[in-house]
Amino acid sequence: MTQDVEMKDHQTPSHSVASALPSTLQHLKDIASLIESGAHTKEVRRIGRAVRLTMGLRHKLTAPVLSAFLDFAFAPGSETYKQLSAYLPKDDEHAMEVDSAPSAKQAPTKHSSPELEIFCYLLVLLFLIDLKKYNEAKACSSASIARLKSINRRTLDVLSSRLYFYYSYSYELTGDLAEIRGNLLALHRIATLRHDELGQETLLNLLLRNYLHYNLYDQAEKLRSKAPRFEAHSNQQFCRYLFYLGKIRTIQLEYTDAKESLLQAARKAPIAAQGFRIQCNKWAVLVRLLLGEIPERTIFVRRGMEKALRPYFELTNAVRIGDLELFKTVADKFSSSFNTDGTHNLIVRLRHNVIRTGLRNISISYSRISLTDVAKKLRLDTANPVADAESIVAKAIRDGAVDATLDHENGWMVSKETGDIYSTNEPQIAFNSRIAFCLNMHNEAVRALRYPPNTQEDKETAEKRRERQQQEQELAKHIAEEDDDDF
Amino acid sequence: MDPKLTEVSQLFERFKAALVRNDFDTCANLLSQLKVLLTGFRSLPPLFEDTPNAIHELTLARDIYEHAVILSVKTEDQDAFERDFFQLKPYYTDASGRLPQSPQEYIILGLNLLRLLVQNRIAEFHTELELLSSTALENPCIKHAVELEQSFMEGAYNRVLSARQTAPHESFVYFMDLLAKTVRDEIGGCSEKAYDYLSISDARQMLLFSSDKELADYIKEDHPEWEIKDGCVFFQKAKETAPCKEIPSLQLINQTLSYARELERIV
Repeated sequence: MTQDVEMKDHQTPSHSVASALPSTLQHLKDIASLIESGAHTKEVRRIGRAVRLTMGLRHKLTAPVLSAFLDFAFAPGSETYKQLSAYLPKDDEHAMEVDSAPSAKQAPTKHSSPELEIFCYLLVLLFLIDLKKYNEAKACSSASIARLKSINRRTLDVLSSRLYFYYSYSYELTGDLAEIRGNLLALHRIATLRHDELGQETLLNLLLRNYLHYNLYDQAEKLRSKAPRFEAHSNQQFCRYLFYLGKIRTIQLEYTDAKESLLQAARKAPIAAQGFRIQCNKWAVLVRLLLGEIPERTIFVRRGMEKALRPYFELTNAVRIGDLELFKTVADKFSSSFNTDGTHNLIVRLRHNVIRTGLRNISISYSRISLTDVAKKLRLDTANPVADAESIVAKAIRDGAVDATLDHENGWMVSKETGDIYSTNEPQIAFNSRIAFCLNMHNEAVRALRYPPNTQEDKETAEKRRERQQQEQELAKHIAEEDDDDF
Repeated sequence: MDPKLTEVSQLFERFKAALVRNDFDTCANLLSQLKVLLTGFRSLPPLFEDTPNAIHELTLARDIYEHAVILSVKTEDQDAFERDFFQLKPYYTDASGRLPQSPQEYIILGLNLLRLLVQNRIAEFHTELELLSSTALENPCIKHAVELEQSFMEGAYNRVLSARQTAPHESFVYFMDLLAKTVRDEIGGCSEKAYDYLSISDARQMLLFSSDKELADYIKEDHPEWEIKDGCVFFQKAKETAPCKEIPSLQLINQTLSYARELERIV
């Protein structure tokens, strides 16, 4: 998303003198030629760039500009042209005439490529969503999806994945997500058959979003675990996937994996995606609390997130102290915001962690304490607090939350001496995992570098190339041998 | 009225009568006939076709499956419960917009939650829980199951056991009895980690046995590593032995070599 903003900034200054309307139209035409050339040379990345440029122009789109562009792109009589221009509001007759006049001359020579046609659909759809004409947007996106199904071209993948997204988005805005579930599944199937990996990625995310919107975690997990996975093509889609994965795993009590996915999603998300990062952080905080960890204060005081994370901050505080009363007050106080976040059930689960933390604090401060006092300190207000305290402590001991033994006859909890952690393998393991993380990060960064095609290489003579290839081969052999040497 | 529908309704009436009499063989027999007949209706899931009698058929089918679930509880057949519940579920989720809510719905959902708890399928328990609205969570049947799960996770087993008296519906009792067995295993597992030893009478009380003999049998059967000596149960044997102090040399060499290789690649 950051890229979009930057792109826009680069573009505008040079044209700021000219009036907004023609310049936007000119940009669109540039983008169209970019798409055409991308489609012609089968350079998918050019189309990707075109889409990014379009997002920069998004807020400058107006009905006259769009209709002028449609005139430019299509032969006037074509089916798609009629269909698309029907969606545009006709209030600005005057401006339209002015613009369509020059382009009409070009029209006869035009024969639009499918890429350009789909691109026009995308433009109109964006425009309708921005105007909040959601019902028209729904109709337009459905029409575009129907058209997409009949074209099978890899150069379309980037455009179609955007269209899928806005298709689902327009239905979500009107609250009819359940309606398109079958359609999305069919599209996912088609994308899989066509080896359209970007499309698969996008559609899988949309389906997960669709299921999670209705809290259908079971179906979401079944789909996710069975859908084909491959290396991510788009960072944004990968972030979303990680977020959904984290949510599913949280619900299914796989907290360790959930934490990993959620933190990774928050880390990988672009800076501009503030809302997404807030959501990720909310869930990550809860998962870490459920794991018995206390998130650092810095998470809550970051600029822009402070207000949104406030309820979670107070919650963390209650868990940290291990005070059941405070926990209850906080849960009640912010219950409406927890309900909107859909985290209410997780908060209910947390109660048991509050008790655990309280118990751990007691076990650290006392070497021996009677169960009556434990019950009092934990504020267990039940019929038989001592018996409850005893079994709660017993379970905490079994789960490894506290290191103690119980003396039933005397009704005591006796804490064990905390052993010297440096006499165990623990530090070595922690050290290793950190080193592994850093090395992995470096390797991934190297792998993510992209090199522009080297123009000088083309001029290389045949002889030189052979020499270089030989060198490379030797090097590869060398590396392979080295690998064999290790164990 | 549609003759097929009349036939099903009549059969269903006989089924209900048999269920009241607790005549389970007849019930099972009639139920399989009913299920076969239901496949003939095109308005039921998964087709959901909009036939003129759709509402009537859906209501009747839902009623039949609800009774099937109740029957499976009475016959104490958990597999049948799971099957029937999954057949019933689409009527609650996908047909909820077209049918008025069933008075049985919360009881059945609560029973299902309890079943998942008894079978210790906590992940599925929470997945089901997410599907419930906040009004559903307020319902006594659902609330009962949710509170049980909480006490269970905390380790407040006394509360789990005493909840048997407050069961909101008669059919809950069967699962509560099953839950007692799960609770005993849990207490056993916790005790062996938490106590060094327990006197036999305390152990008997804690593990909910009425006689010492039952306790001895249980220990022999499920926990042969416990030792009975001087009127006490010793758990010492079950505890882990002290961690060995050996240096994991091979692992260390491996790791160091891999660091060296990675660093070489970077520099």
